[in-house]
Amino acid sequence: MAQDGKALFQTNCASCHALNKKLTGPALAGVEERGPWADRKKLYAWIRNPAGFAKTEPYAANLIKEYGVLMTGFNALTDAEIDAIVTYINTPPPAGTPAPGAATAPAAEEDNSFLYGILSLVLGVIALILLQINSNLKKLADQKVGVERAEPVPFWKNKAYVATAIIILFLVGGYFTIQGAIGLGRQTNYQPEQPIYYSHKVHAGINQVNCLYCHGGAMEGKHANIPSVNVCMNCHMAINEYKGPELVREDGSKVDGTAEIQKLYQYAGWDPSVNKYTSPGKPIEWIKIHNLPDHVYFNHSQHTKAGGVQCQTCHGPIQEMGEVYQFSNLSMGWCINCHRETSVKFKENGFYSMYEKFHNDIKAGKMDSVTVEKIGGTECQKCHY
Amino acid sequence: MSVMKHIFPALTLASAMMIASCSSVQRDPGKIYMPDMAYSRAIETYSDPSSLKAAGINYNGAPVAGTVKREGIAAFPIAIDKAGDTVNYVASKQVPNPLSPLNEKDMAEAKRLYNVNCAICHGEKLDGNGPIYNGGNGPYPIAPKNLVADPVVSKMPAGQMMYSVTYGKNLMGSYASQLSTKQRWMVIHYLQSMQPGGAPKAATTDSTAVAKTN
Repeated sequence: MAQDGKALFQTNCASCHALNKKLTGPALAGVEERGPWADRKKLYAWIRNPAGFAKTEPYAANLIKEYGVLMTGFNALTDAEIDAIVTYINTPPPAGTPAPGAATAPAAEEDNSFLYGILSLVLGVIALILLQINSNLKKLADQKVGVERAEPVPFWKNKAYVATAIIILFLVGGYFTIQGAIGLGRQTNYQPEQPIYYSHKVHAGINQVNCLYCHGGAMEGKHANIPSVNVCMNCHMAINEYKGPELVREDGSKVDGTAEIQKLYQYAGWDPSVNKYTSPGKPIEWIKIHNLPDHVYFNHSQHTKAGGVQCQTCHGPIQEMGEVYQFSNLSMGWCINCHRETSVKFKENGFYSMYEKFHNDIKAGKMDSVTVEKIGGTECQKCHY
Repeated sequence: MSVMKHIFPALTLASAMMIASCSSVQRDPGKIYMPDMAYSRAIETYSDPSSLKAAGINYNGAPVAGTVKREGIAAFPIAIDKAGDTVNYVASKQVPNPLSPLNEKDMAEAKRLYNVNCAICHGEKLDGNGPIYNGGNGPYPIAPKNLVADPVVSKMPAGQMMYSVTYGKNLMGSYASQLSTKQRWMVIHYLQSMQPGGAPKAATTDSTAVAKTN
C-alpha cells in the first residue's frame, strides 16, 4: 500500500509539495497533527474542492493567504487513494538508502616527482657523507702505515667540485629564469578563491546541468556570460540544502554546501523561511580567471557555433573541477598551434560557403580537410586589430 | 666534521623552501609583463561601471525600453501579475504565437534550446523527469511538470506558456534573461509539436521529432 501511496504522491502532489520542505505548498510531514486535517472527511473535501472547502474552514483560507496560491483540486482521487497518500506521508523513508551519485573513491593518482626529489636529495647527502668517511679512513690508514701525504684540499676548494657546482647552478638557474620569463603574463593553473564555493563538479558533472544553461552567451556572442543571480535562483529557490558527496577545497578544508547556498540567498535577497525575495539583491563579484590581453580579440560564438569546439577543449575537464582553474595557458603559441592542427567543419556549413576553391578541391579529391590556418586562422589581423 | 654542522641546517632550509614552493594551489594570478596591456583600461563586459557614474556619465547597461533587436520580435505584450493576482496570467491565453510554424532547421534549434534550458528539470522526453529531479533521487525536491501528459500543460495555450516562461510560475523562475523573446516562442513551438494532438507541427514534416514523443 505504501508503494502505491508513493506513486500517487509523485504524480499528484509532488509538483507543489515535499515531505519536509515548504515549497509552493506546505510540507506535508505530520499533516494530520495540524489544523482540521486529523478529520479524514475534511481532508477529502479539501483535496477534491479546495476553493469550496476554504469557504467553510478558516484554517484552509489562511493557508491560501499564506502561500498566495489556491491548491489545484484533485476531484478524481478516491478515498482509498487519499488514504494511501497519507499513509505514505506518515511512513518515514527507509533509513540508510545511499545518496545518489555518492562518493565513488577517487583514483589515487598523485604526483610522485616531489617524493623522487626528496629521495635523490637524501641519496646525495648519503653519498657526500660516505665520500667524507672514505677520505677520513684513508687518512687514518695512511697515518698508520706512516705514509706522509699532503694535507688534502677541502672539497669547496677543489677545482673539479667548484666547476661542477657552477655548471649545475648555471643550468638550473638558466632553466628557471627562462621558464619564469615565458610564464610572465600566463596564468595557467590560476585558481582563485571565489566569493561562493561554486562547484562545477556538482552542477555540470553530477547533476548534468548543460554548460550553456548558465553560459548561454558562448553560443551567441563574444562573452560566455557569467550568470546573474536569478539564473542560480531558478533551481535554488527549491534546492536549499546540499546533500551530495562531501566537498573539499583545494587546501583540504571542508565546505558546507548548505552554508554556501545560504550565501547565495544573501546575494539574491531571498528569505528561505518565507520563500520570498525580501531585500534588494546585489551581484556576486566572481573573480575572473581567464584573462586575454587587451590587444587580442577572442569571440566565443565563432569557436562554438561556427567551429563546433567543445567547452572542454580549452577549459579542460570543467565538469570535474570543484574549484575552477585555468587549464590552458592562453598563450599565442597555444592558439596558433590549435589553428594549425584543427580542421574546420567545412561541408554543409554556410559560414564557409565563400571558399569556392577549397570546396572544389575537396570535391576533386585534392584535399580531404581544411584547417583553420588555410582559411586565414594564423593571419595577424584575425585576432590583432 | 664541522662541515656537516653547516650542511644539515642548509639542507633542511632548502627542503623547507621546496615544500613551500611546491604547493599545487595557485591562488595568485602571477606576474604580468606590461600590465597596462594585459588588463584593459577600456570599460569592458563585467567591468564595474561605477567609475563612469563618478565621471557624470549615465550608463545602466540596459537598452532603451521597447528596443527590438535586429531579426528579433516585439516583446511579450502582457505585463506581470501583481502578487496574489492572476488577471494577466488568464489574459495571456489570448496571445497567439507570433512566429509561423518552424521549418526543420529552426525546429532543431528550438529543440537544442529546450534541451539546454528546460530539459534539466522537465526532461529531454518532456516527461517532467530531468536529471536534477531524477524520479525523486535528484537534489530538486519537487516533481517538475510533465509537459506531455499533465493536462494543465498539454492543453495550455501558447500565450499562457509564454507568460510562465517569461515571468516564471510557482517555483519556476523567469527565463527572460536566458532566452530572447523569439527564442522563447520557438521553444513553445517545439514543446507544442511534442505534445499529443492539435499542436502545430513542424512545417516540413519532422517525422523523427514526432516519433520520439512515444
